[in-house]
Amino acid sequence: MSDEAILSGIAEVARRHLDWQGPFTPEMRLVEDLRLDSVRLLTLAIEVENRFRVLLDEADEGRIETIGDLVGIVRRKLGV
Amino acid sequence: MSEQPGAQTLNDYLERITGRPDAGLRFLDRGEKAHQVGWAEVRDRARAVCGGLQELGVQPGDRVALVFPTGLDFFAAFFGTLLAGAVPAPLYPPVRLGRLDEYLRRTARMLEVTKAVLVLADIRVKRILGESVALARPRLGCRTLDELPREDGRPVAVAPSDLALIQFSSGTTVDPKPVALSHRAIVAQTEILNGFWQDTETLRHSCVSWLPLYHDMGLIGCVFPALSREAELTLLGPELFVARPALWLRAISRYRATISPAPNFAYGLCVHRIADAEMEGVDLSCWQTALNGAEPVAPSVLRAFVDRFARWGFRPEALTPVYGLSEAALAVTFSDIGARFRCRRFDRDALSRSGAAREVADGREIVSVGRPVPGFRVSLRDEDGREMPSGRIGRVWIQGPSLMDGYLDDPATTARALRDGWLDTGDLGFFHPPDETGELFLAGRAKDVVILRGRNHAPDEIERAADGLPGFRTGCAIAASWLPEGAEGELLALFVEVSRTASDAELAALPERCREAVLTATGLAVDRVEVLAPGTLPRTSSGKLRRQEALRLYLAGALTPPQPVTPLRMAKAMARSGIAYARFRWSRPGETPSG
Repeated sequence: MSDEAILSGIAEVARRHLDWQGPFTPEMRLVEDLRLDSVRLLTLAIEVENRFRVLLDEADEGRIETIGDLVGIVRRKLGV
Repeated sequence: MSEQPGAQTLNDYLERITGRPDAGLRFLDRGEKAHQVGWAEVRDRARAVCGGLQELGVQPGDRVALVFPTGLDFFAAFFGTLLAGAVPAPLYPPVRLGRLDEYLRRTARMLEVTKAVLVLADIRVKRILGESVALARPRLGCRTLDELPREDGRPVAVAPSDLALIQFSSGTTVDPKPVALSHRAIVAQTEILNGFWQDTETLRHSCVSWLPLYHDMGLIGCVFPALSREAELTLLGPELFVARPALWLRAISRYRATISPAPNFAYGLCVHRIADAEMEGVDLSCWQTALNGAEPVAPSVLRAFVDRFARWGFRPEALTPVYGLSEAALAVTFSDIGARFRCRRFDRDALSRSGAAREVADGREIVSVGRPVPGFRVSLRDEDGREMPSGRIGRVWIQGPSLMDGYLDDPATTARALRDGWLDTGDLGFFHPPDETGELFLAGRAKDVVILRGRNHAPDEIERAADGLPGFRTGCAIAASWLPEGAEGELLALFVEVSRTASDAELAALPERCREAVLTATGLAVDRVEVLAPGTLPRTSSGKLRRQEALRLYLAGALTPPQPVTPLRMAKAMARSGIAYARFRWSRPGETPSG
């Protein structure tokens, strides 16, 4: 799966489960730009796992700050 | 009915397990697959952990911190710690995605305050806990259950007065308040709760819960009552509920649960985030008691939940608003089980000005949280601890068999909360009608705590996030939350004073910067930021900010800067009235503008 495909999958999760309607680009930060509080971060994590059928690792998650970071982790977990 | 008199400690409950094949724990995963574990297996796993802890050098009375997601390991660690005569302190596992630094700092602080000798953690959690553990340096380090020595345990005899649990009433780095509960208190609370759902020949009550196990409602409200009755308890992780609220209701239906508690926000989340398709085949008619507590109950949420889920068999009389707090182990008042929840409307002016509860047709609507549970007494007091006349708002003082011993190792804070066997909850309420049939209605809080989504937060942490922002007057922020009329949950407001040298650009950017800083530091979204002139926030004579007063003024539209005293203003004030003049004279900058 390409980075573009992963990005658009995550964007769809954000639109569907977080009602995100704005732009969605790799350099955007989850907390500051997407304005995600704890509950919404949790929702994003779980729904991204559901959608891509991967299990994110809490040890990696603390370092995820941007949408691009999240794309990178999903790519690694998918082994592509 | 499985009446089993005589249990005086949580350890007694474990020892009494008979190994019924038809009961125990059921863990659900995200695919709704169930993993069942009998109570006897829980006990055996706990005994193994007890052996490991003893071999490692854990002594009776030692504190052991537990950091696990919902799962069998939590139970093995929790009860294993108790069997070793030690005291478990469950802490919450990391939040998902980001803010790891804050989590690590907070966890380190909690380890330090509990003086934990050992941290037991899930393997995934352990990998990231390194920094917290390094900071707090527990004597025996941090281990997973697999890393404990394998030795047979020798369960230690514990007394009812021994500590059984350390619970954090709000997770905070600034001012953590770990609540210390004895076996006696927890057993008393467990028996109180079981009195509300007694098993009969034809009905054995069963519970479904997604509540965190490091939270009183999940652990004391669901786990201990199920253990003591050797009953069925179905658990799913809080993260699964938050992401997919339908999993909660589907579990209740599938396992024909009779009891399931949750805070107000959870009922609202279900209304907004469950699609019809997810409810296919769901039948909620088995759900007899839907307890609603841990945060203020919004009438609009109760009604919306009934409207939304009645078509799937949900019974309106199941909704049971309750009141409780960690310091009382859990429940203090219950509304009538099996009766429809009661809302009443009270005169807004009378409530806010004179503190009188007067029922009127178009007043502020408040939900009754019922009457004291057996063994508990509720008394309404004024600031000085004197009883209020009936029908008046007072501070809610409580007395009962499950009160905490105190805040852990903190006699000064304990002495402020506990007096002559009474606990001052810091909540405000009144009885209505004002006679012996009266039910408790909660009207707000006198204590400084922010309650959002069933969790308590210390306002200091939220306020500190603003420190250092351009244009902000450092140290001059107040965070407060309240339940507005008609709203579904509490709103969080941040009142900030600007510095005298702030530029226009800084002023314009300040609200947005505050929101961002609070979100980054605490994970909480601020609903309203109010930017105020220097000196506007009410303070005590010693200069401490008065949070509840600030909120009161804000809600009354009176949070305005103090006015400099000029001859013209003096004259105007004198002209208005003698009283106004007196007030004017006595109001100094920084003090509450009166009237």
